[in-house]
Amino acid sequence: MRSNRMGWRMLTPTLVILFIVGLLPFLYVLWVGFYDWNVFSAVRGMTWAGVNNYRRLVFDQDFLNSLGRTFQFTFIVVSVELVLGFLLAQTLVTPFRGRSFFRTIYVLPLVVAPIAVGATWRLLVIPGFGPVPYYLDRFFDYPFRIGTSATHAWLTLIVMDIWHWTPFVTLTLLAGLTALPKEPLEQALVDGANRWQVFRYLTIPMMMPVILTVVFIRFMDALRIVDEAFMLTNGGPGLSTRFVGLHIYRTVFPKTDYGYGSAMSLLVLYFTIVACWLLFIALTQVGKQRE
Amino acid sequence: MAQQEPVRAPVEHTGRRGFLPMKTNTFDRVFISVILTIAIGLLWMRFVEQYLPLWIAGVVSFILGYIILRWG
Repeated sequence: MRSNRMGWRMLTPTLVILFIVGLLPFLYVLWVGFYDWNVFSAVRGMTWAGVNNYRRLVFDQDFLNSLGRTFQFTFIVVSVELVLGFLLAQTLVTPFRGRSFFRTIYVLPLVVAPIAVGATWRLLVIPGFGPVPYYLDRFFDYPFRIGTSATHAWLTLIVMDIWHWTPFVTLTLLAGLTALPKEPLEQALVDGANRWQVFRYLTIPMMMPVILTVVFIRFMDALRIVDEAFMLTNGGPGLSTRFVGLHIYRTVFPKTDYGYGSAMSLLVLYFTIVACWLLFIALTQVGKQRE
Repeated sequence: MAQQEPVRAPVEHTGRRGFLPMKTNTFDRVFISVILTIAIGLLWMRFVEQYLPLWIAGVVSFILGYIILRWG
């Protein structure tokens, strides 16, 4: 009982901070989502709208398209980052000459702010200035135009995100791989299992908690992409790279439609929670069935 | 040297198995009910509200929530 009270006392500062910076803003957004609040409208202040913002949302094709686009983007980048990150972590776990140097160089993208990453990549791929379109045009006669081709814009965003965030996946998986007990792996090799079997039936199941953590962090992070896309393509060409974060930004800031923006944010939160929950169920159930 | 106690998770996931395809505790069932209530509300507004008012969705969600909490 005493230790329990002590535990609560130790947790109180964290809980207070979480309440102020996490729960209060969420409740405020939830509240605003049920109001019409536009500072430029003829009606001053907030007026009760009930579920009208949500009713408007489910018919807003631009919003639904941006949501679909964001999920598509997230699915692609998280899958690629996970596979690439695992392969790199497997490579880095075995000692080789210059491993520390490679590790240091490799994690550099992680420390760059997303907005700076977007700006740098823009300088790399902007037609008439960046080296990527220049060399593609010169050596392969391939016109690379992110300003006019939706495919090129998509591809650049995906490559940029993978470049930026694969080191995070690698580092986390590397930490997991390093912490794995060596005995079961060696025992399996002695018992005649080949490297693939060890990887498939021992390493992957033992790494599942780490994989789950990485997938969830990256999944939620990729769904919130705004700054990189804002700097690189600004949602264009057309609406082809306008992800949901950018869409909300453009509704809330230039149009000052705070009620509708809050409703959109809450819906994105809802879809994120549902997707993560489904993913968690799917991944953990697969593990249990295998047992 | 005394043998160390194995490390255990501080909270064990207790639950029961109902008609839902996994073991759930009360929190899980409340969570599933809330998720379904929101989904039903949104889908109702999009596809059904032209024919039937929204409060019926509330009643449907309430009944579904009760079933999940009771037998889920």
